[in-house]
Amino acid sequence: MKLSNDSGEGLENSKNFQKIYLDNSATTMVDKEVAKAMQPYFTKIYGNASSLHQFGQEAKRALEQSREIIAKSINADPKEIIFTSGGTESDNLAIKGIAYANKEKGNHIITTKIEHHAVEHTCKSLEKEGFKITYLDVDKEGFINPDQLKKEITDKTILVTIIHGNNEIGAIQDIEPIGTICKEHNIPLHIDAVQSFTKTEIDVKKQNITLSSFSAHKLHGPKGIGALYIKKGTKLNKLIEGGAHEFNLRPGTENIPGIVGFAKAVEIAKQEDCKKIAELRDYFIEKVLKEIPETKLNGPTKDRLCNNINITFKFIEGEALLIKLDDKGIAVSTGSACSSKDLRPSHVLTAIGLHPAVAHGSIRFTLSKYTTKEELDYTLTHLKKAVKELRELSPLWGQSEEELTKAAYEDDHEHEGE
Amino acid sequence: MYSEKVMEHFKNPHNLREIKDADGIGKIGNPTCLLPSEKLHKNSECIAISRLKKNKMVLSHTGNYEKVIEAYSRKYNGEIIRLKNKIGSVNITPEHLVYSIKVPKGDMFKRNFGKKTLTPTWHHAQDLKKGDIVLYPILKKEEDIKFLEIDTPKPKYDFRSKNIHKKVKLDSDLLRLFGYFLSEGNIQEKPSKTYISFSLNLNEKNISDDIHHISTKLFNIEVKIKEIPKRKTMRVYLYNAQLARWFKSLFGNGAENKKLPDFIMRLPTEKQKALIFGLWKGDGYVNIDRHGPRAGYATISYQLAQQIKMLLLRQNIVPSIYAERAKKINGVSHKKAYRIHIGQRESLKRLCRILNVKYNPTSYESIRSWFDKNFLYTPITNKEIFKYDGIVNNLEVANTHSFVSESFCLHNCGDVMWVYIKVEKNKEGKEYIKDIGVKTFGCVAAIATSSMITELAKGKTLEEAKKITRDDIKDALDGLPLIKVHCSNLSADGLKKAIEDYETKKGKR
Repeated sequence: MKLSNDSGEGLENSKNFQKIYLDNSATTMVDKEVAKAMQPYFTKIYGNASSLHQFGQEAKRALEQSREIIAKSINADPKEIIFTSGGTESDNLAIKGIAYANKEKGNHIITTKIEHHAVEHTCKSLEKEGFKITYLDVDKEGFINPDQLKKEITDKTILVTIIHGNNEIGAIQDIEPIGTICKEHNIPLHIDAVQSFTKTEIDVKKQNITLSSFSAHKLHGPKGIGALYIKKGTKLNKLIEGGAHEFNLRPGTENIPGIVGFAKAVEIAKQEDCKKIAELRDYFIEKVLKEIPETKLNGPTKDRLCNNINITFKFIEGEALLIKLDDKGIAVSTGSACSSKDLRPSHVLTAIGLHPAVAHGSIRFTLSKYTTKEELDYTLTHLKKAVKELRELSPLWGQSEEELTKAAYEDDHEHEGE
Repeated sequence: MYSEKVMEHFKNPHNLREIKDADGIGKIGNPTCLLPSEKLHKNSECIAISRLKKNKMVLSHTGNYEKVIEAYSRKYNGEIIRLKNKIGSVNITPEHLVYSIKVPKGDMFKRNFGKKTLTPTWHHAQDLKKGDIVLYPILKKEEDIKFLEIDTPKPKYDFRSKNIHKKVKLDSDLLRLFGYFLSEGNIQEKPSKTYISFSLNLNEKNISDDIHHISTKLFNIEVKIKEIPKRKTMRVYLYNAQLARWFKSLFGNGAENKKLPDFIMRLPTEKQKALIFGLWKGDGYVNIDRHGPRAGYATISYQLAQQIKMLLLRQNIVPSIYAERAKKINGVSHKKAYRIHIGQRESLKRLCRILNVKYNPTSYESIRSWFDKNFLYTPITNKEIFKYDGIVNNLEVANTHSFVSESFCLHNCGDVMWVYIKVEKNKEGKEYIKDIGVKTFGCVAAIATSSMITELAKGKTLEEAKKITRDDIKDALDGLPLIKVHCSNLSADGLKKAIEDYETKKGKR
């Protein structure tokens, strides 16, 4: 297997074989600049940020500078940012930390039906411990209704946790009204901003956010590093014991190269990139829906993550299509049950009303700033071919053209007893 | 995850094509099935799955009707799971998917408000247990009809019955009359006269008065009442042959065959209340003084019982249905009857409101079933497993890939495979598979196993081909991931079905 070159383009430029990475919601390529910024912290500035000597103090400076960059990007104070190992840890710390710290106040948490597993499974585990969890419905496009949130709030509610940008269908929730409701009721609001960070505006003051989870590797930063924003004065229990790192909330020696890389990635993330990606996204969606019959866009048309495309190809099983595309060097992901370990389809797709059988044929393409129009055209060509091939194998497809379109209503009494 | 062999066959599948002039065709769905006698909701009635053919419309889990794309049946020898809830039971193969909520252990979920937060999905029947919640759809389509046309023509030689208006207003009066008729009425067809009669108890004067009131108002026909004090009954006669024939065409005749026409099932929920009122005044009862207050309805028509269930669900009333065997009491033989009970507090309250019965319970009662906009949520009350050897059936349904039995929402899994064979005789005079083609819908494993079965079967005699097992296919592919093993079952079964098909066709020749 050929590896992508390190020119930053992410693909081989040979004419016959391309490698195209369209799974940027799973993880992204580390930006060259990010990798460069991290380099000295492996071999030169390798001190422990807690040490008092110069080695340590130099690392400490890098740590605090990074903290400042990230805080500034969301209009927070540097003291309100703590570093973690990634999005999953941030989500766990935020939800369990609030739940355990507010046990006497109440035991009710409100979340949605389309959370990432990091939030969903954390809530499920709290449920086993006796907490009550309300899962808000979403509409067909994947948006929650703030009125339902208002109705579900009780005097026992201690936390509202909402996914900001959904990883599967790309719906970006309007946080401001949600934040206002939470503020009125004096309930902390946690948002899972792992996918949305740097792709859409996050202003913790304006949007009344109490906690927010971030991850570096979704925005061309390194893996294994994330952050949690915690508003000043928020009561939170730590989950692991150890030293007094990170304002006594997250023990463990700080991952300085990761943190520096994270900050660099945030620093160089540009709004213009996002605009360019969104244009490519819309181009691809339009092409697919127009040129491949029996396809359907899942998720919203407006307020959608700039890099997210999720399309159902009817009469096709997602795993088969994924492998076909992979064979052509194109990397995508699927919500098909056949590709999951328990043969169950994605809970997000079923929450927006997709039937499991339809969710079967869903493919997610997620773009990045490195994605080019040529790559998408190449993908489209092979997508069309793969869809056609798989549909030709399918006994349902031939029927669909000839018979499924016939008028569906027919009385049956004369056929009885054949 | 997959072996190299599997990938090889997936990328370059062999013989995945249709053979137009095939000698035998084996069509097979995912091996999850129902016993042939399981009844499914079709438009306007409930019929056995074995009688459902292509292009019929069946109720799906969305509460709308969808078209059957294909009907399958196959031989099955193994375990069958019987699930029961308040409204009925179903017999299915263990892997069949049921729309349900698995209730985790723990006190949190003892009451319904804990369960309400859980998300429903499709679970294998074998993974469900007593106490898990199943969902049952409420009929979606609503269509109001203001007027009905009396379209049965007046017979040529009928000089006696009065002319009636061709059009009649479909209002609460008429729906009440329909209700009385379904419960108490029948059509008398005698050479000289055809008419509608209602059999009532002597103390049901309010009903006879109401029938009289409706008949004069809508049809301008006065009813005749005959009291039979010895049997404590009275008869109400509505003499009009045309009307009688119209009623017969709408509802069928004979108490056993009565059923509601589709358009009534689709009327707005508010309007249907008058029908329920009429039905209940006829054959129903409400007893709120009893220790466990309840209401009930009895009919010997299976279809009517199922339709009343659907009507009640629309009113957010939970019925439970029991079939009572035919029996003899005091020398009088009773036919097999279907009893509908309403015992849950909220449901009973709603029914009493429809029937204008005062019922204001004050004590608390725990709720086991509940409704939302689209579904009834009700717990599984029993699960049994038994051995079965015989035919089982399944359907492929358009769009929603689901269908609804008497009491459960069931899924048809998407995997489908068609196997085509061409048969000829070899030099020794034995029949062998000269050519084979497969069409398949499914994942990598499904496609690879389809390709492999053609490799294994091609050139073999029918006797040899019949002996190919799922393990042979699996081994030839250097193994399959555990969760994909069911795909190899599909291919082996598909080939067997194609050979069976060939042999039956040959036998007929």
